[in-house]
Amino acid sequence: MSPSYAVGQADLVAILPEILLSLAGIAVLLLDAFFPVTRKIATFFSGAAVLGAAWAMWTQVPEGTSFRGVLESTPLTTGFSLVVLISAFLSLLATDRYLRRERILNAEYHALFLWCAAGALFMVRATELLTVFLALELLSICLYALAGFHRRVQEASEAAIKYFLMGAFVSSFLLLGIALLYGETGSTQFSAIADAVAAGRGSTLLIALGFLLVLAAFGFKLSVVPFHAWAPDTYQGAPTPFVAYLSVAPKAASAVVFLRVLQVVTSSGAPGKWVQWITLLAAASMLVGNFLALVQRDLKRMLAYSGIAHMGYLLVGFVTLDRESWSAALVYLLAYALMNAGAFAIITQLFEREGEPHLLSDIAGWGYRRPLLAACLTACLLSLGGIPPTLGFLGKYFVFLHALRHGHVGLAILGVLASLVGIFYYLRVVYFLYMKPEVREPVAGTFDLWGNAAAVLAAGSLMLLGVFPGPLVDWITQAIARLG
Amino acid sequence: MDLLLGDTLTRLVFFPALACLPLLFFPSRAQRETKIYALAASFVELALGFLYVARRWNPAGFPDLHDPVHEWISGFGIRYDLAIDGISMPLVLLTVALLPLVILASWHGIEKHWNGFAISLLLLTTGMLGAFLAFDLFLFYVFWEVMLVPMYMIIGIWGGHRRIYAAVKFFLFTMAGSLLMLLAILWIGWTYQATTGTWSFSLGDMLRMDLPARQQIWLFAAFALAFAIKVPMFPLHTWLPDAHVEAPTGGSVILAGVLLKLGTYGFLRFALPMFPDAARRAIPLILALAVVGVLYGALVAWMQTDMKKLVAYSSVAHLGFVMLGLAAFDLVAWQGALLQMLNHGLSTGALFLLVGMLYDRRHTKEFKEFGGLAKVMPWFAFFLVFSTLASVGLPALNGFVGEFMILAGAYKSTVGDLRLPVALASVGVILAAVYLLKMLSQTLWGPITKDENRVLRDLGWREKLTLAPLCVLMLWIGVEPQRFLAPSKPALEATLRTVTARMAEVPPEAPVVRAAALGQLPVTEAIAAPQAGESRERSR
Repeated sequence: MSPSYAVGQADLVAILPEILLSLAGIAVLLLDAFFPVTRKIATFFSGAAVLGAAWAMWTQVPEGTSFRGVLESTPLTTGFSLVVLISAFLSLLATDRYLRRERILNAEYHALFLWCAAGALFMVRATELLTVFLALELLSICLYALAGFHRRVQEASEAAIKYFLMGAFVSSFLLLGIALLYGETGSTQFSAIADAVAAGRGSTLLIALGFLLVLAAFGFKLSVVPFHAWAPDTYQGAPTPFVAYLSVAPKAASAVVFLRVLQVVTSSGAPGKWVQWITLLAAASMLVGNFLALVQRDLKRMLAYSGIAHMGYLLVGFVTLDRESWSAALVYLLAYALMNAGAFAIITQLFEREGEPHLLSDIAGWGYRRPLLAACLTACLLSLGGIPPTLGFLGKYFVFLHALRHGHVGLAILGVLASLVGIFYYLRVVYFLYMKPEVREPVAGTFDLWGNAAAVLAAGSLMLLGVFPGPLVDWITQAIARLG
Repeated sequence: MDLLLGDTLTRLVFFPALACLPLLFFPSRAQRETKIYALAASFVELALGFLYVARRWNPAGFPDLHDPVHEWISGFGIRYDLAIDGISMPLVLLTVALLPLVILASWHGIEKHWNGFAISLLLLTTGMLGAFLAFDLFLFYVFWEVMLVPMYMIIGIWGGHRRIYAAVKFFLFTMAGSLLMLLAILWIGWTYQATTGTWSFSLGDMLRMDLPARQQIWLFAAFALAFAIKVPMFPLHTWLPDAHVEAPTGGSVILAGVLLKLGTYGFLRFALPMFPDAARRAIPLILALAVVGVLYGALVAWMQTDMKKLVAYSSVAHLGFVMLGLAAFDLVAWQGALLQMLNHGLSTGALFLLVGMLYDRRHTKEFKEFGGLAKVMPWFAFFLVFSTLASVGLPALNGFVGEFMILAGAYKSTVGDLRLPVALASVGVILAAVYLLKMLSQTLWGPITKDENRVLRDLGWREKLTLAPLCVLMLWIGVEPQRFLAPSKPALEATLRTVTARMAEVPPEAPVVRAAALGQLPVTEAIAAPQAGESRERSR
């Protein structure tokens, strides 16, 4: 890349969503510093910025590459970006009341939040490993800080430290992997790496090792077994509305990079038994995630393990890579964004004390105390369990259909049986909500309009898209066809 | 929108779901209003169902009718395709007829969260009707699953002491079967696409596809597992007694009356016609399990000391009869099986209602707590005796016709020598008389041993009104069975023709899709060339 490259207007339009988010982050921070009164509307300002970014992504960003092919924009990347922004929006809706209630309403939260959204969007659209790395660091550093944002809660520090230490290791793995690939193939561009490997350049061992390190790094961000250990502790300690975002957006962005790298690996015929490895990762994640979730008593930890299992289902769609892997991943992640972010947004409102554990037994009988939230949580959980007519079912449909079409019948059977285990613990929440006598009164909080809106938005979209999936599926089919 | 407002199956299926919406805004204190609203909605649904059928009535054979077919997920050939024929028509009527009775029966028995109860019942009705009417496998699966959550809620929230255990067991058993069925559905949809190049999950298309023997066996196993759990066939029946005993009366009635029929209906509509070669090989196994179910259900029922458990196990036995009839692949046996599905819904439904009425008064279902009830509750005794005799199979009541036709049809079955299963199942008829009459003698007759029983109130007008329609139907079917058998005969005949024609074929080495299904299933033709936008009505 020659240094004389001049950034043109087209390039700036192409990154308009990221620019909007970053500027909004800076603005919200400066406003708070000079006019502290503005922090009261910081959340709404951020929400507007996220909506603006989504609008820009949908209507303004032209298709094609920018910055000399470093970033690309296709209907698919737009889809994944929207998944990131949806989770960000749902998270922000539940944030306002939370920050006030916990007395940690500072605009640093919003600034970090918006910047890491920008990082995730860059990551989705990067076609080159160093850009991916930069985007990942922008995303991750903000995430580390946000995980420990609730300073007075001890678990928050634990969450942040664990996440940070593991994340730092992973970053170094990723860098080493990039270095190896660059050393052997002479490029960091995905397409150039693929060509070089296909042409037989470089040492097969080092190339395989490079791919392995890169995939492992994103496996960590996806929290698939065996890279999952950070997730439960981090979810438990981090601010709950932030977990709505943490559990979705980094995973969505990482899934895209994971897919891109896998595509390079399979299309170039790189050495290594990749199919078997991915199968193993998927199977292990589905089993470990679901069985460990079964024994959790803390809702946030339970959903952390369920998230591990869900990334296992997602990987089922990656086992044999083709175009349908992309559509399966997009549908699955969209469903996951709505149901997981929705569930955390609701949990934020059900529990009024962050310092205490979010015990399942505490919500016994609250189905009648908080009817709206409980009904929406039920919808999210049924969707997580993959029960029709919800979008979660459609996600599983795509993934398992993909597995069957490529002859992975055993994996598909394992997947549905694992999801049976999943249904057991999702239903247990429903059982506590509606069928157990109340043991503890819910705190009589005032009506949280925005939080309720998040719940209704998530549950409503899950149901609506589950019953009328036609437009969504058509859009994705067209997006895949446009890939060429 | 036209689909929803016109005189269509869609309106019939989704009216209950839409009727739920106002219930969300009923304050939980307005119990009485909620009940009245739910009852009104159920009567509207009943009227919709009966009017739909009455307008198209043909005593010689109910026509095959499709709602206009719509693309649902066009990229995968998934269609919104609802259809009714002579097989599903009686079951649909049974479903809509039981709904108001269930609400009436729950009037006092359900004490809390009435709007939740009504919502669950109405959503359940939508799921059941949809499953009976769906002619697209994917759509069928969706409705099949939609039924689960409301039933889980009904058992889990309004059930007895061990309700959670029963509800979770019910859910997981059913789900385990249906998840594997989902994989099988995906597999055949994909196989169809791989063979023809176009996606389809429509039943008509699947009937035109001949699959290799090995694939058929696995796919049939997946479907049969899901349906056998639902029926339930021995040894997959263990969820049933728990679910029945713990469910509130209304839940038990729906469960026994309609939900179990979905298992046998699934065999008849999907599993047997789609995988004929595997079905042919599975006949001995189905027969064996059916007969074991009949005998085992009867023997276990005999040992029960709890009225509700007795009725629950009698369901296992009765549905064993239905499976025996289906496995005979004989028209008379099939007619008997379909009629027996209806009969079981009526008589077992009535028995569960009666047990529930007794439970409302005494809060126990143990035989030993009763005795001599005929003296204090003559009306109760009348209805109990009537329903029991129908269930036993007394001539001139409905049960006799069904069981007789199943046994007679199976005896002359052409798929093999079925004399031994028929003989063994006949023993089951005698056993049914033994355990059901034991229930009568221990509760109704003899001296009144408990003082509490002396002051029991007899049935009130609401309760009599609940039971009367069921008893009238039982008698009517018993004395004039032809009226109920004839409308279903052509549809059963056509299905049987397809199945037997396809069974006679040697399965191909690789999947083959024919231009038309063997044996000319009229319903199939209607689906094979869907003309969206207009409703086709065909009568023979």
